[in-house]
Amino acid sequence: VSPGTLAPLLPVPVLVLLAGAALAPLAARLHRRLPAVLAVVAALTATGLLLLCAPTVYGGRLLVTYLSGVLPVHGAALGIAFAADPFGLTYALVASGVGAVLAAYTLSELSGLGRRELGGYAALFLLLDGALVGSALTADVFNLFVWFEVAALASYALTGFFLERPIALEAAFKVLVLTTVAGFVVFVGVALLYSEHGQLNFGALHEALHRAAARGHLPAVDRIALALLIAGFGTKAGLVPFHGWLPDAHTAAPGPVSALFSGLMVNLGMVAIGRLVLQVYGPGTGLPVLGVLTVLGLLSAIGAALLTLVQDDLKRLLAYDTVSQLGVLTVGLATATPDGTAGTVYHLLNHALFKALLFLCAGAVVHLTGKEHLSEMGGLARRRPVLAAAFVVGAASVAGIPPLGGYVSVGLIHSGVLATGQPLVLAGLLVAQLLSVAALARAAYLAFFRRRPEPYGELGRLKPGMAAGFGVLAALCVAAGVLAGPLRDRVAAPAAGWLLDAPGYAGAVLHGGGRHAAPHVPFAWGDPTELLLLAVCLVGGLLLAVAAVRRPAAVAGLLRPVRAVQTGSVNDYAGYLAAGVVAVAAVLLIGG
Amino acid sequence: VIVVNYLAAAVLFALGLYVVLSRRNLIKIVMGLSLMESSTYLLLISMAYRKGSTAPVLLNPPPGGSPDRLAHGNVADPVLQNFCLTAVIIGVAITGVFLAVVVRTAQHYRSVDSDRIRELRR
Repeated sequence: VSPGTLAPLLPVPVLVLLAGAALAPLAARLHRRLPAVLAVVAALTATGLLLLCAPTVYGGRLLVTYLSGVLPVHGAALGIAFAADPFGLTYALVASGVGAVLAAYTLSELSGLGRRELGGYAALFLLLDGALVGSALTADVFNLFVWFEVAALASYALTGFFLERPIALEAAFKVLVLTTVAGFVVFVGVALLYSEHGQLNFGALHEALHRAAARGHLPAVDRIALALLIAGFGTKAGLVPFHGWLPDAHTAAPGPVSALFSGLMVNLGMVAIGRLVLQVYGPGTGLPVLGVLTVLGLLSAIGAALLTLVQDDLKRLLAYDTVSQLGVLTVGLATATPDGTAGTVYHLLNHALFKALLFLCAGAVVHLTGKEHLSEMGGLARRRPVLAAAFVVGAASVAGIPPLGGYVSVGLIHSGVLATGQPLVLAGLLVAQLLSVAALARAAYLAFFRRRPEPYGELGRLKPGMAAGFGVLAALCVAAGVLAGPLRDRVAAPAAGWLLDAPGYAGAVLHGGGRHAAPHVPFAWGDPTELLLLAVCLVGGLLLAVAAVRRPAAVAGLLRPVRAVQTGSVNDYAGYLAAGVVAVAAVLLIGG
Repeated sequence: VIVVNYLAAAVLFALGLYVVLSRRNLIKIVMGLSLMESSTYLLLISMAYRKGSTAPVLLNPPPGGSPDRLAHGNVADPVLQNFCLTAVIIGVAITGVFLAVVVRTAQHYRSVDSDRIRELRR
């Protein structure tokens, strides 16, 4: 198929998902399960349409279309542009593909819901998924804000959807406050950029910013705008110190919703930050923005991993691990090297797969046993072996055990960090990984592998649909590792190529498309340094897990200062967010 | 003259943020957020200001004029005003969700004190 016929198709996947969202509540009137079926069909259709574009885009060609046919004139784009580069297409495919699996899983786990509930749930699910695909493909900064808000609106409702647990209300309020503030921040950031340059298109903005930087000092307005955008999208991505909402939202929501939030939604923030920092502002601005991202990333990676170590609530543990993994992604982006950026794209894919799998497992454990706390679980490996196997696959992928995908993506990020000459940052990443291994090993032991003194009062059955969901996601986790070669050369490397070539991306978005050769990203499975680092993380992590299981009080005592930060007060969390905005703005104003 | 607008927007934003950070009453937090929201509208409308301009309402060209003359008039920036319209719509939806959550919270906890509704911590 020629690019000329493919490009106009780009908005269609989003339209399909949004149309599904509109039809779902109506479908509920016909049959109780129809909305969930509709959600699966819509997500699969969107995936199929995106897959049509995949060979062209991963072949190095950027597809772009201008909504309503308003073409750019003399480098000024008036209409909204939708562009598919390998980075955005990967995220869009993950969002729609994993979204289809999650929708199918919901059909099985939550099939006990009533007619109206299933209709509303499917509508919100598709609305959120559509917003994610839209944010992945848009090349317009105000349009990005709109998708951000659409995703936010759907996420508020999904967080507070299941009110049988009152903590859902508390969580929904915190999500609302923090995401609303983040929305203001993004809104003002976009408006500042527009009022300074009169442009909204990513490419046109890049060229305007590039001209401003070439005149010498980049104006303060542009610096503040970047700080606001990083803080706003950092809130969506759950980066420390903007993360207050994330653990609460995941604790309160049922498994498939947590999987949707953690596996798919938080990446919206990461994709937006990647685009704005690398493709819109680009390397020529002389701002210390990569340093800022590295610090935010390390704070998230290590700080949140510390909080997982003695966490008793299984889903909360996984939520903190999400913050930690998003920190790793941020550090990878901030290397701005082919290796590190390709590793980030690859890790984004891996994280979506393994975190969706882990959250579905955790949700299923809660669903089957009625217990939320690790201290009340145990013995599930013998009673529900499929569930245990799925959890172990997910945890092993987080830990980066070959041949699973985590090994490759984290290895690429490591080599990117080393290429920029930052051994301390690498040490920080290794500490975070060691802590993740410890936390997940502890969780797996406590929930699945230790003996439970008394039998469960009642233990639900694992429905075939749920087992199928685990099977698909676990198989995808394994495939993401086994197919490392093609994924790296055909997906991650082209994505890194476009991300790191800001002028090329700008030109392609403004001139109806373009081509770009993928950079060479070397990687060897048997690299001795990488294997040694992995061994250190695994051994250290397992030792730490033993310590956390044997002496939980002592470990909790050591972590008291970190744990005290999570006060549970919405005022405090908003304060962290505001302080973070001020700090990022101050650094960007003074530096460079 | 326009500097006053920027100052007013900054003061409104700071007031709203102060309320969000310091008040524990959930309804007051929502009101603080509304203040912050209004301040962003004021900021955007002020940024759209052009000296001596009129409202960006483009009707038919004056009798005998061609359509391209329309673009030569001195009008305020319509794009920023458009942003505000979009944000007002989003803001209304969000305030609705907000108040629904507060009402349900008040029904359940018999309290709107954020300090008493913090089961989720650490």
